[in-house]
Amino acid sequence: MSASKVTRQDALLYGGAAVGGLVVGGAAVVGIAAAVENRKGAETAEGEPIVARYHDGELPAEDPGSGTWSKATRVRVPIAAQRIVQPYLEREGVTELGVRALASATEVALLLDWEDDAIDDLDGIRRYHDAVAVQLPTRAGAPPPPLTMGAPGNPVHILQWRATWQRDIDSGGKTGVDQIYPEVVHDVMPDDVLPPEAAQLYWVGREAGNPLSKIDRSTPVEEVAAEGFGTVTHLPNQLARGRGVHEDGRWKVVIALPSARAGVGEALAPGTSWPIAFAVWLGSDENRGGRKHISTWQTLALEERPA
Amino acid sequence: MARVRNWQLGRDMEYPYEAERPKRQFTMIMDTNKCIACQSCTIACKSTWTWGKGQEFMLWNNIETKPFGFYPTGWDVNILAKLGEQSWDGDTYTGQTIFEAAPEGERVLGWTAAEEDWSHPNIGEDEPTGNAIETTYVPDRPHSLMWMYYLQRICNHCTYPACVAACPREAIYKRPEDGIVLVDQTRCRGYQECLTACPYKKTMFNLETRVSEKCIGCYPKIEQGLQTQCTTACIGRLRLTNFLSPPEEADPRKPADFLVHIRKIALPLYPQLGLEPNVYYIPPTHVPTDFLTQMFGPGVEEAVKMYENAKDDPELLGLLMLFGATERIFETWDVSGGVARAYDEQGEEIVAVPLREPTFVRPFEFATEVAGEPVTGYRHNT
Ligand code: SF4
Ligand code: SF4
Repeated sequence: MSASKVTRQDALLYGGAAVGGLVVGGAAVVGIAAAVENRKGAETAEGEPIVARYHDGELPAEDPGSGTWSKATRVRVPIAAQRIVQPYLEREGVTELGVRALASATEVALLLDWEDDAIDDLDGIRRYHDAVAVQLPTRAGAPPPPLTMGAPGNPVHILQWRATWQRDIDSGGKTGVDQIYPEVVHDVMPDDVLPPEAAQLYWVGREAGNPLSKIDRSTPVEEVAAEGFGTVTHLPNQLARGRGVHEDGRWKVVIALPSARAGVGEALAPGTSWPIAFAVWLGSDENRGGRKHISTWQTLALEERPA
Repeated sequence: MARVRNWQLGRDMEYPYEAERPKRQFTMIMDTNKCIACQSCTIACKSTWTWGKGQEFMLWNNIETKPFGFYPTGWDVNILAKLGEQSWDGDTYTGQTIFEAAPEGERVLGWTAAEEDWSHPNIGEDEPTGNAIETTYVPDRPHSLMWMYYLQRICNHCTYPACVAACPREAIYKRPEDGIVLVDQTRCRGYQECLTACPYKKTMFNLETRVSEKCIGCYPKIEQGLQTQCTTACIGRLRLTNFLSPPEEADPRKPADFLVHIRKIALPLYPQLGLEPNVYYIPPTHVPTDFLTQMFGPGVEEAVKMYENAKDDPELLGLLMLFGATERIFETWDVSGGVARAYDEQGEEIVAVPLREPTFVRPFEFATEVAGEPVTGYRHNT
C-alpha cells in the first residue's frame, strides 16, 4: 500500500483481503489530509476511502440531521446479501449504504443512510427489526480479520443500532405486547398482582440478565466483540452512542464510539486508517441474524488533527 | 454434517453435530385413546410456566383435534408438503429427513408459521373427517369412515433437535443428564431461527423479552423425581413421564423401554422428519391405518392390535393403569393378584392400583329422606 496516498485501489483491496488479499493496517497513513482536501462535502464514488473529517468539538453523535455532517464526504458503499455462512439471505432488498464519518479528539461518529420504505421497530412473532452495524478490527495491523465477524483469536468490534432499541428509547420502553397489538386485552398479568421482584421472574430473559431483553436502555447502539458468526458477546462497558431517524423512505443513523476503545481494542487515533465493514437488515424482508446485507472491508481514514 | 444413528428410521442420517446421547433421556408416553381434550394439561402448563406478559401465544403443551386441528395452524401439513414424498421400506425410512433436504444456505428444511397461524390455538376442535352419509358418527370398528382424535403435544426433547441445529448462536442445548432441550435465556438473541426449523413448532418467541422460550420438560420437577405438570394434571390419566434408553440398552423392567422398545405399542410423532422425537403415542384404535402410518410411522397396526388386547395382558394393562396414579417418576412396576404396583429406584413401592376397579350396583329405586320426610330416591347415572 502506498505510504503517500490512499487510492481507490487500496480501498478495494481491503475487501479483497477477506479472501486472502493484501496486508492492510491501522498504521498512520501520511497524506490523508491531502488526499481528501479536494473532495470536501462532495459525494464520492463507491470504493473510495471513508474519511473521518476532524471536528474540533462535540460530534453530532445523536443528531443525524446536524449541519456538521455536511463537513463529511458521503461514500457509497455497495452491500449485498450475506451468502458466505449459513443461514443465507435469499433476497437482496438494498444494494447501497451511504457513509459519512467525523472524528473529534475523543470520539468517532458515522452517519449511515440507506433506503427502506417500511419502519420495522417492534420485535414480534415473525416480525423483525431494521438495523445497521459497523465492524472494526480490534487491533491495528494486517491483514484484517475474516469479514465474517472475525475468527477465533482474531476478534472484531461491532456496533449495532436497532430500530427497536431506538423506539425503546424514544417511547420510554413502550415496545411490547401493548404496542404490537394495540387492541390487546389482558387478564391479570404477574406485574399486575405481584411485587416487582416477583413479577420480574416471569420475564426470564430479563431476569437472567440478557441485554437483548432490556427495554430501559440509554443507547440504541450495542457494542459487542465477536470471533466468528454466532459468537457475538455483549461488552461489559457500553459506551457507544447513536440515534436513528426515518425520513423520506430512508433510515439515517448515527453510530458513535469513543476513539480510545478502552478494554475493547486499540484506539482509533487521528491519522490512522482502519478496515471497516457494514451490515444492514431490513425487518420487513425478514432479515435477522446472519440473514443480512454486508459490505466487503472498506477503509476508514481518520484525518490528522490540524496543527 | 455428521453421520448419526436414528433408530426410528432404521438407518444413519446427516445431522450438523455429532451424536451425543444423554445419560438418560426424558420421555413422555401419551395414550391418545383416553384423551377428552379437556385441556387441563394445557392450563396446568400455562399457569405454571407461561402466564407472563409476552407469553400470550405460548402453549408449550397443547391439544389439537386431528386431522383438522393444529397449533400453529398447519404446522405439520406444511412441513410434510415441503418435504415431499416420504417412503418406508419396512422399518427403514427411504425418504429424506429435514436435515438431508435442507436447501443451500440452510441447515434445516424449515417452514415459518405466520403470526396469524399462532392466533387460533383450538382451530378445528372436534371436527371429524369423513362422509356422514355413508357412516355413523359413532366409531364403527374396524374403521368408521368418520373419525377424529386428540393429539397431545409438547416439545419432543428430540435426540437430534432441529432447534439446536438451526440456532446460529448455539443458544439451545440438550442437557447431558436428562436430554431435556433448553433455550439459554442469556445467549438467545431472538433471531427466531428455531421457530422456522422446529417442525413441531415448539419453540416460541417472547414478545416482551424478545428471546425464544420453549417447554422445559418441567426440569425442576424432574430433578426431584417428579412427573411433569401436564402429566399429573391429566384427568384422562393417559400420560407417563419417564426415561427411555436407546434400543440396544432397552430394559424390559423399565416402563418406557417396555412400551417403546419391547412391546412397541408407543410410537414417535412424524419420525420421518429425522429428529428422533422422544414423545411416544399409543395410536388411536379407530383411525384409518394410512393416516396413522404417515403420522406415527410403520408399526401402527401392531400397536393398535396390542392395545386392543391389553385387557388380556396383565403386564401391559397394569402399566397403563399406573399412568396418572402417582406424581413420582417410577423405575419399575409389577402386577400380581390383580394389582399393579410401581416402585422407585430403591425398589420401594410408590403406589398400588387394582387392574379392575370394584363395581357396585345400586338399586334403581331406594328409600331415603328429604327434610325428615321419607321419599323414594332414584339412581342417576353420573
Ligand atoms: S420438538 Fe422442536 S423445540 Fe423440541 S427439541 Fe425437538 S426441535 Fe427442539
Ligand atoms: S389433561 Fe389429559 S385428557 Fe385432558 S386434554 Fe390434556 S391430555 Fe387430554
